[in-house]
Amino acid sequence: MSMTKKLQRMKKHLVREETAVPIKKQQENIRHWDMWEAAGANIFHFEGEYCITRETHYSLDYQHGHYTFLDAERTIEDWSSFEGAHPLSAKGFSSSDLYFFDTETTGLRGSGSVIFLLGTARISGNRVTVKQYFLPSPGNETALYAKFLQETDYTTLVTYNGKSFDWPQVKSRHTFVRERVPALPAFGHFDLYHASRRLFKHTMESVKLVNVEKNILGIERIDDVPGHLAPIIYFDYVERGDPEGILQVMKHNERDILSLLTLYTHISRLVLDGSTRKDDRTALEIAKWFESSGNVDAARMALAQSAGRGQDNVALEAAYRLAMQYKRRKSFEEARMLFDRVRHSRSTRALDASIELAKLYEHTWKEIDEAFKVTEQAIEMVTDERIRKEVEHRLTRLERKKSKDLKN
Amino acid sequence: MKKKTLSKLITELRNNEHIINWHEIEPEEAKTKPIPEMIDERIRKALWQRGVGELYTHQYSAFKAVESGENIVAVTPTASGKTLCYNLPVLQSIAENEANRALYIFPTKALAQDQKSELNEMISEMGIDIKSFTYDGDTSPAIRQKVRKAGHIVITNPDMLHSAILPNHTKWVHLFENLKYIVIDELHTYRGVFGSHVANVIRRLKRICSFYGSSPIFICTSATIANPQELAEQLTGNPMRLIDNNGAPRGRKHFVFYNPRVVNKPLNIRKSATVEVNNIAKEFLKNKIQTIIFARSRVRVEVILSHIQELVKKEIGTKTIRGYRGGYLPNERRAIEKGLRDGEILGVVSTNALELGVDIGQLQVCVMTGYPGSIASTWQQAGRAGRRHGEALIIMVASSTPIDQYVVHHPDYFFDRSPESARINPENLIILVDHLKCAAYELPFKEEEKFGPIEVHDILDYLEEERVLHYNGGKYHWAHESFPATNISLRSAAQENVVIVDQSDVANVKIIGEMDRFSAMTLLHDEAIYLHEGRQFQVEKLDWEHKKAYVRKVDVEYYTDANLAVQLKVLEIDRSTERNTTAIHYGDVTVNALPTIFKKIKLSTFENIGSGPISLPEEEMHTSAAWLELKEIGPELKEKALEQLLMGIANVLNHIVPILTMCDRNDIHVVSQIKATHTGLSTIFLYDHYPGGIGLAEDVYKRFDEVKAAAKDLIEKCPCQDGCPSCIGMEIGGMNAKRKSIQLIDQF
Repeated sequence: MSMTKKLQRMKKHLVREETAVPIKKQQENIRHWDMWEAAGANIFHFEGEYCITRETHYSLDYQHGHYTFLDAERTIEDWSSFEGAHPLSAKGFSSSDLYFFDTETTGLRGSGSVIFLLGTARISGNRVTVKQYFLPSPGNETALYAKFLQETDYTTLVTYNGKSFDWPQVKSRHTFVRERVPALPAFGHFDLYHASRRLFKHTMESVKLVNVEKNILGIERIDDVPGHLAPIIYFDYVERGDPEGILQVMKHNERDILSLLTLYTHISRLVLDGSTRKDDRTALEIAKWFESSGNVDAARMALAQSAGRGQDNVALEAAYRLAMQYKRRKSFEEARMLFDRVRHSRSTRALDASIELAKLYEHTWKEIDEAFKVTEQAIEMVTDERIRKEVEHRLTRLERKKSKDLKN
Repeated sequence: MKKKTLSKLITELRNNEHIINWHEIEPEEAKTKPIPEMIDERIRKALWQRGVGELYTHQYSAFKAVESGENIVAVTPTASGKTLCYNLPVLQSIAENEANRALYIFPTKALAQDQKSELNEMISEMGIDIKSFTYDGDTSPAIRQKVRKAGHIVITNPDMLHSAILPNHTKWVHLFENLKYIVIDELHTYRGVFGSHVANVIRRLKRICSFYGSSPIFICTSATIANPQELAEQLTGNPMRLIDNNGAPRGRKHFVFYNPRVVNKPLNIRKSATVEVNNIAKEFLKNKIQTIIFARSRVRVEVILSHIQELVKKEIGTKTIRGYRGGYLPNERRAIEKGLRDGEILGVVSTNALELGVDIGQLQVCVMTGYPGSIASTWQQAGRAGRRHGEALIIMVASSTPIDQYVVHHPDYFFDRSPESARINPENLIILVDHLKCAAYELPFKEEEKFGPIEVHDILDYLEEERVLHYNGGKYHWAHESFPATNISLRSAAQENVVIVDQSDVANVKIIGEMDRFSAMTLLHDEAIYLHEGRQFQVEKLDWEHKKAYVRKVDVEYYTDANLAVQLKVLEIDRSTERNTTAIHYGDVTVNALPTIFKKIKLSTFENIGSGPISLPEEEMHTSAAWLELKEIGPELKEKALEQLLMGIANVLNHIVPILTMCDRNDIHVVSQIKATHTGLSTIFLYDHYPGGIGLAEDVYKRFDEVKAAAKDLIEKCPCQDGCPSCIGMEIGGMNAKRKSIQLIDQF
C-alpha cells in the first residue's frame, strides 16, 4: 500500500472522535429529525457521509422471557467452570466481552443487497446496552461501517445464523468501503441457530427465532413488524424520509438481539446444568452435542439422564448410545444390559442393538451359541434388503463357527 | 471387396452429372517461427512433449501482441491450433507470477469442459501448480469457494458471469484484483440478441475490474467472419489487433456442390437431399473413409443416422456410425469425440453442434445436407474435413429451398464473397436498461460515469423515477429488494418467457425449457408439436396468463405450422430514400401479432393434413423496421394480383435477407400490405423480431441495393416456369408473375 493511502487511513482513525460530535446545522437537513430525536437517535458524520445511531439501555433485572439479564450475566460467568470444549463455551470471556448481533438487509443474496441496520447488545456496567447503526440512505456505508467497527468487538459475536448470513453480508459490503475503514480481521462466533436446530428442531416446524421465542423462551411479540417487510419499509423511508416505519424495524431488530441474550442463557443452562433439562429428548440432544464436541463424560451423564427407564424411542436411543459408550470403555456388562433392553423393545434401534450384542457375544465373550441366537432373532426385524444380506452373512459365519466348535 | 481410396472416389465423382460446381483449394505449407526465448522452460518442455517444437505464425504473432499489451482477436480456421493463441500468454504470465489470474469465457458448458481437460493436460506436463477450474451451474457448492479463492484460470460462460459471478463480485475479490487476461473463445457466436446481451455483460465485467484496480487484456478467437475486429471491439469496448496470418498447413480440398435432379418439373421439386446424402455417405463409409455428415435439425440427424446405419450395417457395423447433437449426455459426447480422434468411429452425423471448436481431429470427407444458412457456418463445417496432408472432400447437397438453390447456382456468391458480418446492437434500449440495472446493483453509478461508450444519465434518472435507483452523494445506488440478474436471460428475447413443462411422467413433472412470448404464440399454442432434443412433444395446454406450456411426449408423423396475422403501425421515420415511384424508409414500428390457425403438415410429403384454430390474445411489440413503399403502380395491375405479387416478393425477401444479414430466419420477419395503415400505399415491411430491434432492419435499409439485386437474381435464376415455392410462391397463376415481380422490384 502506498504511503498516501496509509496516511489517509491513519487520519481517519485519528479524526473519528471529533466527528462524533453532532453538528446541529446538518441535523436540521434530515427530514423529520424531531421524530428521530424523540426516539433517542444520534448522528455520526464521516467524510461527508453520515449514519444514524441509537442507544437503548436495560437494567439487569429486566426480564425478557423466562430470564432476566442478570441471569444472562451469571450464566456467561458459569461457563468458566465448564470442563472441556463446547461450541458455545464462553470460558475465558467475561460477560461484557460478548456482542449479541443482528442485521436487517434489503435482500437475501448477492453483492448488491445492502445492510441498512446493524445492531449489537452487550452487558456492561450493570446494564445491557443496545446500539443500533442505521444507514439513512445508500451511499453512506463508509460512515455506517466506520462507526460500527469502531465500537464493536467482532471477535466474540453471538448471532442467529450469522455464520452463513449476517457476517458474509458484512464482509461483502465492507469490500465496497474497505479503502476508507479499518480492515475486517477474522472473527469468532457463537451461532445460536445451529444450536437451536440441534435442540428444538423436533418441537417446531421451522426453527425461526420467533418460533423459538414463543415455544421455548416465553417471549410473545406484540405489534412486531414481520422481518420480510423490512426492505420495503426501508426503501419507503429512503424515498419519503418518514422514520415511523423504520423505528418499528429498529424495535424489531432490538427484540431480536435481546432474544439472543435470553436464548444464549437458556441453551447455556441446558448445557451446563443437568437439572434444567426438563425432558428426555432435550437431554438426549444435549448428550449428542457433547458427543460431537468430544465431551465423553458429560455425554455419558446426559445419556444416563435421558435413558431413564422409559420404553419410548428417545429413552431407547439414549440407552443405545449409552451402551455404545460403555462398550467403548469396555464396561461390557453395563453395555449388555442396555443392549438387551433396547433389542427387546420396538425401538428403531432394536436391530442395531441386537447386532451390537451379537458382536459382543461373538468376539468378546466367545459365546457363539448366544451370538447365533441373538442374530437369528435380529433377522426378524430386518426390512432393508442390503442389511438383510449382511445379517444373513453374519448368520452363516456363526453357523460355520458353531459346527467347527462342535467338531473340536 | 477391395476398398477404394479417397482419390479414386474423387475421380469417379468428377463424372457425376449432378455436380454443378467443382472448386479446388490449393494446399498450403506450414509457416512457423521459433518459440520465443522468454517462454518459461517448463512450458517449452510441455510443448515439446506435445510435439510442438515451433509456433505457427499466427500463434507467434498472438503471443507477441499480447506480450506487448495489445488486445487481440485471432481468426483461424478449424484445427489450426488456436487455443495456443491464448493458453501460451496466459500460462507464461502465471508461470512468471503465481498471483496472476485469467478468466476464460466459452459460449457453452461443453466447450468449457473440453478446454479444461486440454488445459489441465498441458499444465500437468508443465509441472507448475496452476489451478484451472470450470465454474458453471454444475460446479458443486463444495468447491465453489476453492474456485473463487485459488483458481488461477476460471473457465465459465456468459450466463454464469451474468447471473452468478458479477452479482457476487465481493466473493471474487482475488480474481478481480489480479485479473490479467480475459479470453473470449468462439467470438463469432456472440451475435444478434445474444451478442448484444454479452457486450453489456462485458461492460459490467470491465466496471467491476476497474473497481478492483485491474484492467485485463482481452484475447479473442473467432471463426472466419467478415468483421472479426469490429465485432471484438464492439463486444469488449477495447481497440483490437487482428491476427489472421494463419500458419497452419493444409492439404488439397475439393469443394463440390451437388444438386439432386428435379422430380416434379412444374413445382420445381427436387429429389430429397436427405436421400442423396444417405447414398453419398454410404459410398465413403463402406470404403472406410472417415466422414462427417451435417444436418440442419436434430430430427434430421436421427433420420439420416438410422438410414446410414441400415445401409452400411453389413459392411462395417452400426457401432462405428454415430450421431452427435444437443441433448446427448456429456460423457456420451466425449466418447464420440474420442472415437473420432482415434479413428474407431468412422462416421458421424451431426447438427451444427460440431461446428464449434470441439476437438474431433480431422476427417476426410464432409457432407452437408443443404446449405447451413450462412457462409461462415458453411466454412466452419467444411473445416471439419481436411487433414494437414492429403486430400479432403466437401460435398454440399442442395435441397429444394430457395436459399439452397440460390447458393448452388451462384458459386461466386459463395466463394468470392467474404463471409457475413456478425452484428450486435448493445445499445438496444431494452437490453441496455436491463444491464444497467444489474450494473447499478453491482456497483453504484457515479453521476458522470459512462456505461461502455455511452452516456446513461437519462436512463439512470428514469430508473430513479421508477424507484429502482436512489441518487445520493453524486451516485446512483441500487434501491430495490429484487435481484435483477434473475429476471434477465441472455439467450432469449422478451423478458417474460414461457416455461415449458413436460408432464409425460406424472410422478416426475419437469421444466425442459423456455421460450420468448412472441415465438411461443406460434410454436407453443394448444396442440402444437414442439421439438425438443429431437423428441416430439405435443402442447396439451398453453396457460398464457401464467406463462406455462404443458407438454407431453408424442410420436406423430407431422409437424405444426401456425399463421400469424400481423399489423404494423409506423411510429417514427428515421431515414428515407425517395425514388421516382417508390420510397424506402427506416424507423420504429409497432407490431401487433395475433395467431389465427395452425396447420398439421406431414413430415415426409409436406402435405397439409389438418388444421385448427388458435385462441390467444394479441401481442404488441415495438421494434425497428425497414419498409418499401410503392407510390405509383401501373394501371394494368389489379389489386388482387398486386397483393399476390407483393406476397411473392415478401417470400423472396424472407429467403434472401437472412443470408445477407447472417441472422436466423426467425430474427427478421417480412410482411406485405396492400394498403399500409399509415399511408394507404402498398408496402413491404421487414422488421426485427425482437423488442427494440437488433440492427437487422437497419442493415437491410443500408444495403438495400444488394438485397434488391439478390432478390431479382433469385427469381431470374429459378428454373421454374412461373413461380414455385423456391421463389415467389406458386399461388399466382397465369399472369407472368415472375416477370411482373421483377418489374416491381426494379421500381425500387
